[in-house]
Amino acid sequence: MSWLDTWFEGVSRQSARRSGRRSFLGRTGALLVGASAVPLLPIARAAANSGNGTGARVPTPDEKIEGPEGDPKQCDYWRHCAIDGSACACCGGGPSQCPPGTEVSPVTWVGTCRNPGDGKDYLISYNDCCGRTFCGRCMCNRNEGERPEYHWYRNNDINWCAGAKSQVYNCSIAVVLGQATEGQPEK
Amino acid sequence: MRSFQVGILVALLGSVVSTALPVSATSPTVPLEYASVATLPPVGPHWVWIPDRLLQHSILFDGDSGEVLGMIDSAASLTPKPPVLARGHFHSSDIAYSRGLRGDRIDFVSIYDAGTLAYVDEIMLPTRQGQSNASLAYVELIGDRFLGVFNQFPNVSVSIVDLEKRRFVEEIGIAGCAGIYPVDALQFATLCGDGTVARVTLDADGHKTALTSSAPFFDAAQDPAFMSAGRNDTTWTFVTFAGDARSVDLGTRIPTLGESWSLTDEGERDEGWRPGGLQLVDVHGPSDRLFVVMHQGKAGSHKQAGHEIWVFDLAKKERVARFGVPNLTAAFLIDQMGVDPDGFLADLLFWFVPSDGAHSIAVSHDDEPVLFVRSAIMGAVAVLDARTGAVNRFLTETGLAGPTLRVP
Repeated sequence: MSWLDTWFEGVSRQSARRSGRRSFLGRTGALLVGASAVPLLPIARAAANSGNGTGARVPTPDEKIEGPEGDPKQCDYWRHCAIDGSACACCGGGPSQCPPGTEVSPVTWVGTCRNPGDGKDYLISYNDCCGRTFCGRCMCNRNEGERPEYHWYRNNDINWCAGAKSQVYNCSIAVVLGQATEGQPEK
Repeated sequence: MRSFQVGILVALLGSVVSTALPVSATSPTVPLEYASVATLPPVGPHWVWIPDRLLQHSILFDGDSGEVLGMIDSAASLTPKPPVLARGHFHSSDIAYSRGLRGDRIDFVSIYDAGTLAYVDEIMLPTRQGQSNASLAYVELIGDRFLGVFNQFPNVSVSIVDLEKRRFVEEIGIAGCAGIYPVDALQFATLCGDGTVARVTLDADGHKTALTSSAPFFDAAQDPAFMSAGRNDTTWTFVTFAGDARSVDLGTRIPTLGESWSLTDEGERDEGWRPGGLQLVDVHGPSDRLFVVMHQGKAGSHKQAGHEIWVFDLAKKERVARFGVPNLTAAFLIDQMGVDPDGFLADLLFWFVPSDGAHSIAVSHDDEPVLFVRSAIMGAVAVLDARTGAVNRFLTETGLAGPTLRVP
């Protein structure tokens, strides 16, 4: 194997780990659609103070983060540590808002992601938005703490639109539920 | 104006003459053609269904010729569950809504003739079937008469369908478990969150008579077993995220656990080698070979595409081969760009373009097996000689995206 082969292999692997498929496609100009899948996620223990009885969520995560970890349209966005699907911020919605005309899935999976701004762990609810076909934009698949379907509440392959009026999957949001008392149990 | 009218008259006369006169004896003979619909030959050993998540259908390819044989739609699904062959028919577990993508939901099994792919009949199901990105082990044939359909909401269960009488039989609860792993004519197993497999036994009519659990053999929290697994007769081989393998014989009175062993040695583990992908495990029964997609990663990389496929002798628990995953990205681009696949430019692209690896594999069941290799995001599938890893061909324009394969 030539040094160039070795170099390209390294580049490719790095690319695959990161979702850099998009950057590769950008270079080639090829038009591809798709990506891995539908949404879902990991769980951890909720902080005793994730709700204080008044409806307030304390504390509020730091969202003033520079770079892709602070951009809801990026796979590297800090809340996306266990997302699998299209980021709704690229589909007419936001990090915690479904696009117009869709329905928020009433059942969901919950992950635990670390906010790089304040260094704290937060419980993230990965709701699917349902009733429109695949958005197909800003696909992202990260699997920190994700588990197979026999631990369904930690699985991000399942179509959580199953609990909505329509099973048709559009995109996924990442809603902060509160602070976690500990990080992701398994890394 | 007058010259225009003359022109029309000449054109009409020419048309009449050309229609009425016999063909000149010196003209080439053109056989008459009539529009028709193709039919299928008997099911081949190297056929494969390739479902597409975005196009909402499954295409049937011949892995030897590379030709498309036909297609079956399965709308309103995340990823269509590839059709299941039984009793001369393909069975597709579908969901539909009364107003396209909204309205009242129905779940049903569509039945297609295996020789014509013509729709034949349907069997209605409870509106609870589950869907996931890969839907691995969600719809499986139990023996040759019963079809199992995995349900997720609001409860976890399996719908049993009688293909002989073409009717739904009953829904069997499997709380805490997922998937359908056929064992024999009247038994299937399911993988459970407590680290066991549970075996369900049916009576002759498809009703549940018993549920028998194995001893725990994996830790679902620390080192879970993948849903993707390989079957040889009544024995299923499961692989964990970290790379341990374990075979379970579900044909014995109590499921018999084989010895746990590792797919990797210490040095390989230090290099980060571990299983990963989506439909990443399969077993070729006649040779008792285990195929696993492997990558170099860490915890949390369990769905990462792999650049190698490792082959193991299950009896000896030894690796016998490492296949490189062909460059599916280059194969896709070569086809889309219209490049001669045997030419210099194609060679250049295979050398130059980074490969995205593969998420999924499926091995054929015959004595001269082929191994289908797929990336969930690339519209090309490789066909390898499963004994050597040599690339026989690429199936091109397979679709837009999708993580699964099924050999009929």
